[in-house]
This record gives sequence, C-alpha cells and structure tokens, in this order.
Amino acid sequence: MHHLTDELSIAIVGLEEEKVMALVKERLQAGVKPLDIVKKLQDGMTEVGNLFEAQEYYLSELINCGAIMKAAMVELEPHLAGSEQEYRGNIVIGTVKGDIHDLGKDIVVMLLKGTGYNVLDLGVDVPPEKFVDAVKEHNAPLLALSVLLTSCLESMKEAVTAVKEAGLDVKVLIGGPMIDDKVTAYCGADFGSTLANDGVKIAEKVIGA
Amino acid sequence: MSDDKFKLLEERKTRYLAAMNLEKPDKVPIRLMLSEFSAKHAGYTFQEIYYELDKNIDCVNKLLNDFDLDTTGGAPSLWWASLHDAVGAKYLKFAGRELDVNTQFQYHEEEYMLAEDYDAFIENPTEWILNTYMPRIHKEFAEPGSYRANVALIKGGIGMLTQLGANQKAWGTWAPEYGGVPTFTAFSKAPFDTLADTLRGLSGIMMDLYQRPEKVKAAIEALIPHNIFYGMATSGGEMEFPLFIPLHRGAFPFLNPKQWKEFYWPSLKKVIEAFWANGKRTLFYAEGNWTPYLESIAELPEKSIVFHVDMTDMAQAKKILGGRFCISGNVPNTMLAFGKPDEVKEYVKRLIDEYAADGGFIIDAAAVILADAKEENIRALIEAAREYGVY
Repeated sequence: MHHLTDELSIAIVGLEEEKVMALVKERLQAGVKPLDIVKKLQDGMTEVGNLFEAQEYYLSELINCGAIMKAAMVELEPHLAGSEQEYRGNIVIGTVKGDIHDLGKDIVVMLLKGTGYNVLDLGVDVPPEKFVDAVKEHNAPLLALSVLLTSCLESMKEAVTAVKEAGLDVKVLIGGPMIDDKVTAYCGADFGSTLANDGVKIAEKVIGA
Repeated sequence: MSDDKFKLLEERKTRYLAAMNLEKPDKVPIRLMLSEFSAKHAGYTFQEIYYELDKNIDCVNKLLNDFDLDTTGGAPSLWWASLHDAVGAKYLKFAGRELDVNTQFQYHEEEYMLAEDYDAFIENPTEWILNTYMPRIHKEFAEPGSYRANVALIKGGIGMLTQLGANQKAWGTWAPEYGGVPTFTAFSKAPFDTLADTLRGLSGIMMDLYQRPEKVKAAIEALIPHNIFYGMATSGGEMEFPLFIPLHRGAFPFLNPKQWKEFYWPSLKKVIEAFWANGKRTLFYAEGNWTPYLESIAELPEKSIVFHVDMTDMAQAKKILGGRFCISGNVPNTMLAFGKPDEVKEYVKRLIDEYAADGGFIIDAAAVILADAKEENIRALIEAAREYGVY
C-alpha cells in the first residue's frame, strides 16, 4: 500500500505503539542521530495523511497515530536538546475569533508537525491582530485559519483582511467543513480546503518540500 | 382558536405526517430548523435569546407570522443561559458572558470523563453522572453536599422546570394562534455519541477504541436503557410526531467501517427499534456525511425513521432508503448564507423534481440555520417549495 521500507516508519503507519516506542529506544541506544529517528517518524506520518486522504484511514486511525507520535517525541525530546532541529518552515495557525472549536485545527497541527513544520498554534477565538503579530514575529510564509461555525465566516474574512492589509508576505489557507471556492474567494484567502491533509500539500507548495 | 388558524394547523399537520408515512400529501412539506437566524429576524441579540425566555419564545411568534412553515423546531435557543450560569456550567459558552453579544453559543469539549472512570460509570451511569461528572462540569457543584452545591442543585432544578414550563406554554399559543406544528416532541442520542461527545471527548474515545475496546462496549451497553428511557420520558406519551436524535460521531470519516459496525450502529439500532416498538418514530438527523452507512441504516423497520440528509449523497440516500423511509434535506447552508435567491430556487426545484415525486419527502436546509443565512434566501426556499412542490 505504500513505499515505506523503514521498520519504524512502517510501525507508526500500522499504529503499533509498543513497537514504535521500542524501536525509538533501541535506535537511540545504538547511537542513531535523534533527528534521523524523527525523520523516519515523519515519513510514517506523511503516509498516514495520505491514507486518510485516500479514505483508507479514518479519524480514529489519524488521532491514534498522532498520540503515538506525541509519545515518541516525548522520548526523543531530551536527546534533541542542543541539536538544531531543522524545520521545513514556520506556519502560524489558529481558530478565528468567535469560534472556540479546536478539533479540526488540532488534526491539521498534528499532520503539519508530524511532517516536519514548526507550527505556532495560537489556539482558539483568536483576534485578527494576534494573527498579524504572530506572522510578523515568526516571519511565517503560511498562515492557516480554522473555522467550524458558518456564522464565524465574517470573522474569518476580517482576519484575512487584517493580514493582507498589513502588507505581509504570507499566503493564507482557510479550513473548515463549509469551505469551498465561493467561501475562499469571499474571505479573500489564497487557499481553502475541507480536507486536513491538504494542509500538508499546501504547505509543501508554499514553503517547499 | 380562529377557524382559519385551526384549518391551517390541520393542513400542515396532515401534510407533515403524510410525508413521514411515505404518502403523498397535497404539497411537499417545508421544515426548517431556524435557530439563531430567528433572533436576527426578530431583532434580538443572541445574548437576549440565550438569557431571556420570553424573547427566545417571541422569535418563533415572529417566524410563524412571517414565514409559511409546515413545521417548526421551537424556540431557537435550546439552552437557557441563566440556568447554566446559576450552576456555573463550564462546558457551555454564551453570548454576553464569555462571548460577544452576537456570537453563537458554543460547547467546550474536554475529556470530562477520564479513562479510569469507566468502571464506576458502567456500574451505575446515573450515579456516576450525579456524583462525579456534575461536580466536574459545574463550578457550583464542585464540592458535593456543601451548602453552595445544595443551593445550586435547587436553583438548577427550578431553572430547568421554569424553562420547560415556558416552552410548554408557548406551544399552547403557537399551535392555536399561529398554526404552528412541532417538528419533534422528544429527544435522545445515539449511545456512542453520549459517550463520545460529552463524556470522553473525541480524542479520548478514539484512543479508547484501541486501548480499552471492551470498556467502551460495556459503557455503551449501559447507556442503551438510559437513552431509551430518556426518549420515552421526554415524549410524555405524545406519539404522532417524531423524536429528535442529532447524530454526530457516526458520520464519515470519524470511525472506520469495522468500528462503525462494532461500536456505533448496534446500540443506536436498538434504541431506535425500542422507540418504534413503543410507537415513536425517530428523526434521524444525520449531521455530516453518512453515505457509507446507508445499507446498514436500511435495516431499520420501515417508516421507523425520517432520514435527514446533510452532506450525505442525496441520490444514494434516495436509492437505498427511498420508499422505506421519508427523506428530508438538503439545501446547503452555505448557499443560504452566500448564494443568491435564484440559486436557492433552482436547488429546491431540482430536489423536488428528482426526489419528491413519489411522496415521502420533506424540504429542509442541510443543517440548523444560523444567523448567516440571508432572509431573501429563506424566502426563496419557501417560495420555490410552494411553487414546485404541489402534488
């Protein structure tokens, strides 16, 4: 079903938590560079995103995989200190003002982090100026805005407008269950999607693989 | 009751019931779940309808005056925020308290039930809910048995009765004075949703399916009689109109097909079959996309549900469920918010042409209608349904 050859990458795709943890520990002891281990985990996570998109994996698998990834990162964290983790780029993300829903956003965060981006999660109910400040501060080429409530699309539009008016060199991706071309155009965003894995694809397009 | 209002009430009721019985009424019935839209239409802020029962109720008076609806869901705000303030609810956020006066109320999901709570929950769900869960989700119940908690329990009980009494009284005017027909008269949930929505939360339940599947099954099993009782108790003996179940985490793509068949469906089926055995039909309000599960849903007894289409493939729903259950839906809410009246009319015409010809069909939006819907689009929907929906 996939092209992965590394045992650790395959184990995370198979949601084999015990095996993932054992392999991480084993490789650390054997002196494998922690960043190389992270890379293998990310390869697995990328595949999980693809399987989700292909409708072979469902949210239950995706969330479980995220939890395994998190546990593995806790194990790896102390060993990563000092070694400069190379991120693929900075991405600012948050749920727009007036909306406190975080499930969709958290899934996208999980996929983006899992595939190697430095994700700055501003949380929920985020006012437009906070997005502007964060994009400036982190010099982020991509801003991702989440919304669940159709009644908060005005607020989405305000956030996109604020960022565009600030003249920042940033692409804006909006995500939520009702996002289509019409809504994307209405909000003035560069990209819009209903699919979590599109977050990763658009990040690759904007920031580069 | 004036004669013409009585006649209107009877016409609408006959129309609505006929469609649910798979018959051809005189016209395709119009059913809209007008929630926060009706606050905007009545000129109230969200804070006002959440906190003031009379304004919440007045929204429906105005709707019934201004729109030709065959059936209506009742007062827009399900919650009386004053009651939830009195008990210090942590899980709901209201306009005028945590949110701006015109922001939609929201549910704050957390793992309010922990993995280690399963055994106590399974042993006695209601006892666990009262002793452990209620204190966790309400600031005022934080110390059970304390003076503060006891007073809050009394206030909460009085508040609930006040709200129910106000709604009951309102139906006493909506039906005779406005010809208003209730969309549903009882409420329940899928046992899996009870556990997954408000108790374990999404992340919690998804981990449980892999780490403690037997506990999940036992908890769901314990909820079946509870949810059946709740549905029958809220119907209070009323058997003509359906019972409302908003369905959440059985939608695609939460659970894989194996999990859906193992964890979601058997208990929901039992609950719906129990209602039907008692003479109560279920409004199967399938939020999101349910296309992959239509074959299983077809196993339910004929006419035992009204299948509501949100993002489910309407053609598939008609093919698999048509002739077996009444189908309702699915004018997209984004079209009602961002589209033009002509587009809405065209969509409604197509729905009626393609799916309503043999009866058993109700026109509705895909989901509950919030304040982003434009009034001219709601009017276009109703006009088109009346224009093209005559049998």
